[in-house]
Amino acid sequence: MMAALGSSEPAPGAADSLFRVEHLSLAYPGRRGQPPTSILKDVSFEVDRGTSLTLVGPSGSGKSTLLRCLNRLAEPTQGSVRFKGRDITSLNPLELRRRAGLVLQTPVLFEGTVRDNLRMQPAAARADLSESRLARALIEVGLDAGFLDRDGATLSGGEKQRVTIARALLGDPEALLLDEPTAALDPPNAALVVETIAALRQSHGLTIVAVTHQPELIHQLGGCLLFLVKGEVQAYECIDGRAHSITDARLQAFLAGKNPPVVR
Amino acid sequence: MTGSVGAIDLSVWQLGLAVLLVGVLVAISAWQALGLERDLIVGTVRTIVQLYLVGIILASVFATGRWYWVVFVLIGMTGVATQAAVSRLKKPIPGRYEIATVAIGVSTAVTLAWVIGVVVRVHPWYEPQYVIPIAGMILGNAMTSAALAGDRLQSDLRARTDEIEAMLALGFSGGDAVRPMVRAAVRAAMIPTVSGMMTVGLVQLPGMMTGQILAGAAPLVAIKYQIVVVFMLAVATSVASLLFVRLAVGRYLTPAHQLRRYLL
Repeated sequence: MMAALGSSEPAPGAADSLFRVEHLSLAYPGRRGQPPTSILKDVSFEVDRGTSLTLVGPSGSGKSTLLRCLNRLAEPTQGSVRFKGRDITSLNPLELRRRAGLVLQTPVLFEGTVRDNLRMQPAAARADLSESRLARALIEVGLDAGFLDRDGATLSGGEKQRVTIARALLGDPEALLLDEPTAALDPPNAALVVETIAALRQSHGLTIVAVTHQPELIHQLGGCLLFLVKGEVQAYECIDGRAHSITDARLQAFLAGKNPPVVR
Repeated sequence: MTGSVGAIDLSVWQLGLAVLLVGVLVAISAWQALGLERDLIVGTVRTIVQLYLVGIILASVFATGRWYWVVFVLIGMTGVATQAAVSRLKKPIPGRYEIATVAIGVSTAVTLAWVIGVVVRVHPWYEPQYVIPIAGMILGNAMTSAALAGDRLQSDLRARTDEIEAMLALGFSGGDAVRPMVRAAVRAAMIPTVSGMMTVGLVQLPGMMTGQILAGAAPLVAIKYQIVVVFMLAVATSVASLLFVRLAVGRYLTPAHQLRRYLL
């Protein structure tokens, strides 16, 4: 798959590469003599600092697992993941996860107010959790300081999702990993979240790796697309700029919805 | 047949009259089409055979009065309790046999040693008349609470995977991320014991006290033993469930603070 890397743009120097995935495979051990279940097979790609990569593919293609390999929530059985040039197995995983914040499909808010949720940060991280910093984080995701005292349970889905993004921002991440961040939201809320992500990317120079089926998010992010089917890379294309020059027929068909994802 | 002091021995004919009660049950089951006739008959036969076997074993252990026979019986009882606890788990937990053996074995050993050696001060310490029934009560309760705790832990880990992932993604350790599920599992296993303490003696007379009174003990002696038993079981169930959950939850986490989702 290394060939795919350089097909549409010159091979980037290692210096500005934030994630570099090489020959990554992942299989779960089989139960009682069953063969292992292969989830990802020989996946390689690179994401440069400040750019974005969108993982697309049908359900069960291993996109979410691949995303979780980047912040080491999942462990590859073969191959390596480098973060800023260093193999992530040599990094403290808890520190890595703050550098690359993960946003889940279903926003998880813990019991309590929005303030409690934003302050939900590990003690070791020594994050700045002053009122002004919390308020600023909320403003960055399109909410305001008035939300701090709101009970998390009373928020709409879109507001919840934006609070979880704000919470990730307090870890001062260099990258955001988005696992279908808009899939559980209605269209207006999804649009707001897409807007928030696009704005953050601009203002923070964040690197974004996203799993999504949402055309708006794909187009907002631009960057490159990695098309996975059954754990294998089928296509890798970049759609930088406004020209949507996707050449791979299967990827085209998939994005056009001719091969709709199976509902889990 | 010579009966034990204070209790009226039952003749085979008298037992036969008790079996007649089950005969009535079988008739009711057939009449009401409950479909339980077969189970009732098998259950009746098993009750008679199992208890007779236990009686014969106990009688010979009591007669020899050797400590190693007592220890041998205790080990056998622990093995059966472990097997029963494991078989009650709805989904297998990796390493469940070792975990259940340690949880049930340690909780029973500690509680039994305290009650026999420190509280009741039985001489000699292996006096089977005391050790075996007390160990049986402890084992039975430790077994139930370990299985309850294990089941609850597993279903909570499965139902709350998002919550665990959200915590891990924020940079919390694996231990921090599963703490709420560990707490809930231990609580769930302890609640029956604790609420039992609230109504003990009011709703029904506990089994051991009933037995002692039937055997001719003075009620004021019987209640003292029952008080010891209640506290002993409270300790045994909490230690067993705590140990089981602590050991089991470790199987779902890796040193790199990852959740082994494929085990859930």
